[in-house]
Amino acid sequence: MVLIETDTIECAIDNDEIHLNNSNNKFSTTKSQGGATVVISPATSVHELLECPVCTNSMYPPIHQCHNGHTLCSTCKTRVNNRCPTCRQELGDIRCLALEKVAESLELPCKFYNLGCPEIFPYYSKLKHESLCNFRPFSCPYAGSDCPVVGDNTFLVAHLRDDHKVDMHTGCTFNHRYVKSNPREVENATWMLTVFHCFGQYFCLHFEAFQLGMAPVYMAFLRFMGDEEDARNYTYSLEVGGSGRKLTWEGTPRSIRDSHRKVRDSHDGLIIQRNMALFFSGGERKELKLRVTGRIWKEQQNPDSGVCIPNLSV
Amino acid sequence: MISGEVEPRITDLQIQSRVHELLDLPVCTNQMSSAIYHYQCPNEHTQELNNENTKKKPYNCPHSGSKCDGTGDIPWLLLHLRNDHNVEMHDGRSFSHRYVHHNPKHLHHATRMLTLLDCFGRQFCLYFEAFHLRKTPMYIAFVQFMGDEEEAMCFSYSLEVGGNGRKLTWQGVPRSIRDSHKTVRDSQDGLIITRKLALLFSSDNNSNKELKLKVSGRVWREQ
Repeated sequence: MVLIETDTIECAIDNDEIHLNNSNNKFSTTKSQGGATVVISPATSVHELLECPVCTNSMYPPIHQCHNGHTLCSTCKTRVNNRCPTCRQELGDIRCLALEKVAESLELPCKFYNLGCPEIFPYYSKLKHESLCNFRPFSCPYAGSDCPVVGDNTFLVAHLRDDHKVDMHTGCTFNHRYVKSNPREVENATWMLTVFHCFGQYFCLHFEAFQLGMAPVYMAFLRFMGDEEDARNYTYSLEVGGSGRKLTWEGTPRSIRDSHRKVRDSHDGLIIQRNMALFFSGGERKELKLRVTGRIWKEQQNPDSGVCIPNLSV
Repeated sequence: MISGEVEPRITDLQIQSRVHELLDLPVCTNQMSSAIYHYQCPNEHTQELNNENTKKKPYNCPHSGSKCDGTGDIPWLLLHLRNDHNVEMHDGRSFSHRYVHHNPKHLHHATRMLTLLDCFGRQFCLYFEAFHLRKTPMYIAFVQFMGDEEEAMCFSYSLEVGGNGRKLTWQGVPRSIRDSHKTVRDSQDGLIITRKLALLFSSDNNSNKELKLKVSGRVWREQ
């Protein structure tokens, strides 16, 4: 199923009750909806009150109100030309502190409860948790324009294949040749993405040409379709070479929770200066014909041990 | 004896060409250079060539930091590097160094370190340098051979940096010290990494953003 991420916090008003830690609520109201009776606990009522009447997003301090008591979030207040959208009266600068304080005692489940998250948070810390929640869907790992599509890995792989026309490969070794007839055209970053399916997992191999400062470079790196904890179970290597020279990179794939740009800008991968890439390409050094080989295998890198070094001087 | 016949005089040129014929290897027609110290022809006609007997162009001092003008043959250069430039010499074909700097952002542009390696009866220069490649701070490490290119090509070397679960390995052919250090650096013919990546390697148990780069490697003869 497709989930397009929005800022609204979904209030489950229909048949689901919102389960709260605080079980001391003695009051409840009932609401009739076309014959079915639905029980809504006070938390729901308060949560509804915290929904901005204009944008329906959850309101956070400072929460505003007009002279008649109609509330408004601070974002919408800047857009309503000093007129309350509910009663059209002049708005002023009244803050609804009472509502802000009531929100402090409100506890709500994580919005990803339907994806498995069992946790409940106070109103003011819920958003922060949701930005880091392990049950949250993954964002599309395509490197180009920031694609807003989210979903689970199976869905995203199909999305990459069908909507972004990404090449899919099965297996844990690769051997690619990147060809560009005029390698001087690397001013705008160009990239290529290939998806690999092995060990029951999906990996994204990125190859990109960009400017590092003012020097043109090529970079190749691997990302893992999953969380960082699981990514650490794997190691990958990338190799380029030619004319008696060879450059080999070995590292842990980054999780797709880290954006493509973040990984690229951290230099966490195989970076080759354009001159060296042309040298490896052989021939007249005018055309890029860079052969990149590599493989993925199951191994945890121990970050504490680093590189094994013979016990020599210095 | 005096007669009407005059034996043609062997000119200097002819002697040289005869010597050349002797020096031509039976398999390939490469000339033996003075770098080959021992040659036995099937008829034992030639003798061991000594470095001092051949007139070879002297080498420039490879310690480029001080723009030194010293020139000489390899034995002279080795003494010069040790005595005048305080360069360390390490025995053995593999090595491991740690380059440490508490504040790498202040590492002076074009700070370079030179170490000598002694193996296979020859000497090699190991360079490590901080520099800027079009405004991006980088580090480069490479090996140069103290001798001529023909012999340099008989060797290969590898350099490895790593840490924090990552590793980068470079394998290359040592350039002869006939090429200046700057030429090799500017052609990027070595292990080259950005400062950002170097700090990523260094961040094992290190939250201080110090540079602690372990560079290890080895030299070997290609068959």
